[in-house]
Amino acid sequence: MNAIEVRELKKSYPKKIPLPLRRVEWIEAVKGISFEVKKGELFGLLGPNGAGKTTTIKMLTTLLEPTGGEAKILGYDIKRDAREIRKRINLVAEGERTLYWRLSAYENLKYFSRIYYVPKNKEKGRIEELLKLVGLWERRNDLVMGFSRGMKQRLAIAKALINDPEVLFLDEPTLGLDVQSALFVREFIKKLVEEHKKTVLLTTHYMAEAEELCDRIAIIDHGKIIALDTPEGLKRMITDEDAVEIKVKDFAPSKLERSPFRMAVVKEDASTNMLLLRGQVVEEELPKLVEWLVRRGAKILSVEQKEPTLEDVFIKLTGRAIRD
Amino acid sequence: MLAVMEKELRMFFRYPLRVVSSIIVGIVFLVQFIFFGQAVLGGRYSSMLAASTGMGDYPTYALIGYVLWWLFTSPIEAYIFGIRRELQRGTLEINMLAPLRTIKFLIGLSLGWILIDNVLMGVVFLFGVCLFKIPLSWGIILKAVPIFMLAFVAFLGFGMIFAGLVMLFKNIGALGQIFEFLVMFLSGVFFPLNVMPYWVRAVGNAIPLTHAINIVRGVFVGKSYAEMASSLQALLLLSTAYWLISYGIFRWAEKITRVVGYGGY
Repeated sequence: MNAIEVRELKKSYPKKIPLPLRRVEWIEAVKGISFEVKKGELFGLLGPNGAGKTTTIKMLTTLLEPTGGEAKILGYDIKRDAREIRKRINLVAEGERTLYWRLSAYENLKYFSRIYYVPKNKEKGRIEELLKLVGLWERRNDLVMGFSRGMKQRLAIAKALINDPEVLFLDEPTLGLDVQSALFVREFIKKLVEEHKKTVLLTTHYMAEAEELCDRIAIIDHGKIIALDTPEGLKRMITDEDAVEIKVKDFAPSKLERSPFRMAVVKEDASTNMLLLRGQVVEEELPKLVEWLVRRGAKILSVEQKEPTLEDVFIKLTGRAIRD
Repeated sequence: MLAVMEKELRMFFRYPLRVVSSIIVGIVFLVQFIFFGQAVLGGRYSSMLAASTGMGDYPTYALIGYVLWWLFTSPIEAYIFGIRRELQRGTLEINMLAPLRTIKFLIGLSLGWILIDNVLMGVVFLFGVCLFKIPLSWGIILKAVPIFMLAFVAFLGFGMIFAGLVMLFKNIGALGQIFEFLVMFLSGVFFPLNVMPYWVRAVGNAIPLTHAINIVRGVFVGKSYAEMASSLQALLLLSTAYWLISYGIFRWAEKITRVVGYGGY
């Protein structure tokens, strides 16, 4: 059975608040996306900033009303059954300011348990269990303002589990976290699906994260889903070509726009004027690519063949790297 | 709803200095107006004021107006700054995501503030009573309390208009404060309205505060409720009207907010 069903979902934002008698321009953020997420699946929405990932999550969590199309969460319609959906889902929102910093970890969870109508007799036990699960029980009485970014994110995850949701939405859950905290969060997400049988919809712009965690991934760009498959299935899209990484110096990235090759800048070091280009090139074409770059003033520092990643899939589909 | 209120109170008292500053500002504001009024009238008692309003003791006259104005602005500030605080904290959307109804969240958010604000107002009122030796009796208190409660219901309805507006426009703190001071001018808080042009009095009559002040001043000079029936009727009528208007505005604002977003996390 599907936990999430999305059909031709669209969202446009008005440039100004649409007051009566005011002509307002609208900007299309999501342009008719469709997908399903099975119960117990870990589904990823992968795309660059501004692709429409957060808008999609906000529509599915009933925070925003779609302009067109429809979506159902656990069989409930996002337009008509917002309250029913809200009882059964939760969200780990992007950024660290989604908790009350002047309350302690315990007080935060107590507050959220109340507004989620957690039964009084279960409240204490649930809070204790969650704080222990995210390793914050010893710090339960400390104000959140004294927590590190990673601790805040762990508490935000505990908060999102307070109503024991069937479907959990995670919007860029590791954004801005240090390596260790990001690792903890990723392991925790895996555990949620494998042990606690939650359905998870995750957005990220980290390729490796999507690849490591997700059963299936929808790549979203400019408000449209441009590919949807398992990580392996997506990578099979480029097996006929090799992934190549070329380190160059003194090369203007804008010149790539007129390039006959599918290459994109994946790393840029302004201080040394160095660029790391990545793309797909068949072996016979490689000398031509190198020549093309040299003719445009690039100094080639290294050329390496790489295992294809989701980054390559995105470059193949859009001609851009996801960091753009 | 109570959880939201409890959370607000808990966080408020983590800034204890706010309590002290609010009381001091309240007292300074009151005292300067009363001393200024007495200087203009040439003393505490004014026969001119008595002739036009029925109450000649200026400190009593001003203190009643000021306390009711405070009560009037309390829900407006509670809604405006309650939402603004949530937006600044980045927690508004995460609350909207909960199955708790938006209206309950907003009322909970404002109740905490109103409670604190009215306790502070009570302290300032008692200070004013002691400093200016206001003639207060148990009879007056018992007769004035139901009027304060009725007025507060009307003020809550009026303030709800701002709950809708703040959901939609987010940062309307400045607008709210302009409005509050305009109401102070239009409702006869510190001076009688009958010295004002007709249009000012007409606008003033559409504000529930004007009628609440008239009734409580009447109570202080010993008038019966029957003698103040017209003001009581106006207060009841305005209370109903503003609740209906504010509910309509709130529902409309809630609908538009789901189109434009709650302000982002």
